[in-house]
Amino acid sequence: MEPKIGVYVCHCGSNIAGVVDVEKVAQFAGGLPGVVVSRDYKFMCSDPGQDLIKKDIKELGVNRVVVASCSPQMHEPTFRRAVQDGGLNPYYFEMANIREHCSWVTESPKEATEKARALVSAAVRRVYYHQPLENKEVPVHPDTLIVGGGIAGIQAALEIANAGRKVYLVEKEPSIGGHMMQLDKTFPTLDCSACILTPKMSLVGAHPMIELLTYSEIDNVSGYVGNFRIKIRKKARYVDTDKCNGCGTCMTKCPVKVDSEFDEKLSKRKAIYTPFAQAVPNVTVIDRAHCTYFLKGKCRACEKFCERNAINFQQEDEIVDIEVGNIILTTGYKLFDPSPIIEYGYGRLDNVITSLEFERLVNSAGPTSGHILLKNGKEPESIALIHCVGSRDEKYHEYCSRVCCMYAMKFAHLLKEHVHGAQVYEFYIDIRSFGKGYEEFYNRVQKEGTVFFRGRPGEITDVAQTPEEKGKLTVQFEDTLVGKKRRLPVDMVVLCSGIEPHDDAQDTAHKFNISCGKENFFTEKHPKLDPVATMTDGIFIAGCCQGPKDIPDTVAQASAAAARVLALISKGKVEIEADTAFIDEDKCSGCRVCNLLCPYNAISYYEKDKVSRINEALCKGCGTCVAGCPSGAITHRHFTNEQINAELEGILV
Amino acid sequence: MINGKTTFLNEVASIPACDKINECVQCGVCSGSCTTAEHWEYPPRKIIAMVRAGMKDEVLNSNSIWYCVSCYLCTARCPRNIKPANIMHALEAIALKEGYKPPTKTTTMYRSFANSIEKNGRIYEFGFMLDYFFKTNPFAALKMLPLALSLLTHKRMPLLPKSVKGKDQLNKIFHNITTGGSR
Repeated sequence: MEPKIGVYVCHCGSNIAGVVDVEKVAQFAGGLPGVVVSRDYKFMCSDPGQDLIKKDIKELGVNRVVVASCSPQMHEPTFRRAVQDGGLNPYYFEMANIREHCSWVTESPKEATEKARALVSAAVRRVYYHQPLENKEVPVHPDTLIVGGGIAGIQAALEIANAGRKVYLVEKEPSIGGHMMQLDKTFPTLDCSACILTPKMSLVGAHPMIELLTYSEIDNVSGYVGNFRIKIRKKARYVDTDKCNGCGTCMTKCPVKVDSEFDEKLSKRKAIYTPFAQAVPNVTVIDRAHCTYFLKGKCRACEKFCERNAINFQQEDEIVDIEVGNIILTTGYKLFDPSPIIEYGYGRLDNVITSLEFERLVNSAGPTSGHILLKNGKEPESIALIHCVGSRDEKYHEYCSRVCCMYAMKFAHLLKEHVHGAQVYEFYIDIRSFGKGYEEFYNRVQKEGTVFFRGRPGEITDVAQTPEEKGKLTVQFEDTLVGKKRRLPVDMVVLCSGIEPHDDAQDTAHKFNISCGKENFFTEKHPKLDPVATMTDGIFIAGCCQGPKDIPDTVAQASAAAARVLALISKGKVEIEADTAFIDEDKCSGCRVCNLLCPYNAISYYEKDKVSRINEALCKGCGTCVAGCPSGAITHRHFTNEQINAELEGILV
Repeated sequence: MINGKTTFLNEVASIPACDKINECVQCGVCSGSCTTAEHWEYPPRKIIAMVRAGMKDEVLNSNSIWYCVSCYLCTARCPRNIKPANIMHALEAIALKEGYKPPTKTTTMYRSFANSIEKNGRIYEFGFMLDYFFKTNPFAALKMLPLALSLLTHKRMPLLPKSVKGKDQLNKIFHNITTGGSR
């Protein structure tokens, strides 16, 4: 079949045509060898644009298609489909990117037109050598792995499990619940956080379709969309989960006191513990790093008093192998630690606390039973709430953490409620009350008498300059709306810290073969149109691991991710791109260099035949093995030497 | 540019150390950190806002820019890396170049300081203070006598200047500064 090439140059409104002389490019393409038709059109991605291609295939016998328009990332699937609808193999298509690579980045129309000509010429030469390829279909395993048991993971797990599909929910802490469990009330409705979360937690704990793996971490991930193989490390709890009924006798008998992580170190827990009373599962765990038996070789008080013989000091980490079709990452966030901002004195000055510490202080199940108290046990009369700590600051995080304005206002409301006659001051740069009912909440807090000062404080000090400042914390700031520098003595300062990714976010991303952005939040496939998918098929993200967000947005995202997973499961199969590598076994010397190079473990060596072979379902078409093979035995479909050489020649003409 | 004329903001923003003035979010951490802002006619944040508003005369006639003591707390704490201290000094330079009369004695102090350095290559405190008080108010020097005596007795203020080696190179530096020099 002699190639008959059709070239279509897109204007993309003025995006391309504003700089590139599209008519000239189309004219030039018409004169290239093998080209039978060359057109330019306003929007090639529109239905009439696609119809042009289909019509030319039918009427002019076009059997190779080049579209010069935007990035293949954007519309390659669209045009491949059009080519297929026209009756050709979709791989008889090549895209020349004359928008992102040309018109958007080249100022001079002359140079842009020249570059567009070169790119089109390259595509035309390349498409000449294209071969028909068939996409493969693989089945989708109906089980799902969810990593992270905060509100995002809980929501996604329930959505999928309620649809009758099995979910493995993995959480690294001894209980699910996440940060939401630590919060007191939630803005702007003032729902009690634990009251709306715990019912969901117990649903998860009791759901027949959810296998809960707490105190566990992901060791290894392999496979591909529809067919992932996961190794989960169940860390040794030293408590038999089947026998323990959470009676708590062991906790009362344990002699070791440790700072409670759940209470932000404001209270003590034992070395055998559950993080909080409503823990799911309600099973204790022994903290090996603090347990007297593990440190000194004797004690075992918990074992002596456990009526159900649930304590097992011989327990070891257990590796669980599972297979799943899809993965949702809901690994959450970490609160910014304000100690590097020395001028705010966190860790140095008493009564300068973080927002999560305040959440525990104000919580009736917290260390002070809900009484907001200073270090000396007295109630504060005046409190300063400082916004944007660690956020909107190039030294720490450039981004806005989105929740701090609102939770700071929630604090103001709770302070007025808990401390009679409290003077509350908010120090803000801009108030961002963007959500439903948020601006109204701002107005409500203002009405309640909280004073808002616009100005980021310069420092917080305990050095008094006047008698009023004696024994107090003084906030030094500029009231920017008045234009005067001022000092304000208060009893307590709450630093409204921002949200940041976990320290190991990059390792996690690497483990799941997804990417992190500049700030180490996981990168979504498309920031607007595909916010819960990632560049790796079958792996989805939801909640604060993707970026700072509040509870409603987190829940919405978790449900969205669950819907995406259920769609794949209900379809039951997934198409895999055909541009994979293959080994010419006559040329393969069996050196196994490619086995080591492959980042997806797709190549194995077959001892009997003394050759390596590629598992096409695992191959992502990265091309590493092709470049690495010393015998030139590996060919990359759709990226053959012939095709690449032709493309280079085309661009150099 | 407005009607072909360079605006005050553009004039300031074109100075390398002030290039980020447009990125200021007016949070006020500079004024809140400033060690002298209570004496300023307009605090540093407001000076930046006024430059952006084109209030050239008000800015360059105010005492504010002259009261910056270069402690650089504002610059260390600025969340947008604006470098307010550099902006204040750039504004001082513009004010002098364009003939604005500083409402403080800061320039005299700067000159006496520079003269002392030019002559000796290092600061000669005794000569420097004498020069400054003679140019401003010689009687004010009387108030400083107890401090001067204390410094003298503790050998913290030598009566005679000490010079550095390589004065010719120092002269070159000063020549380049005063003539706008070539690199």
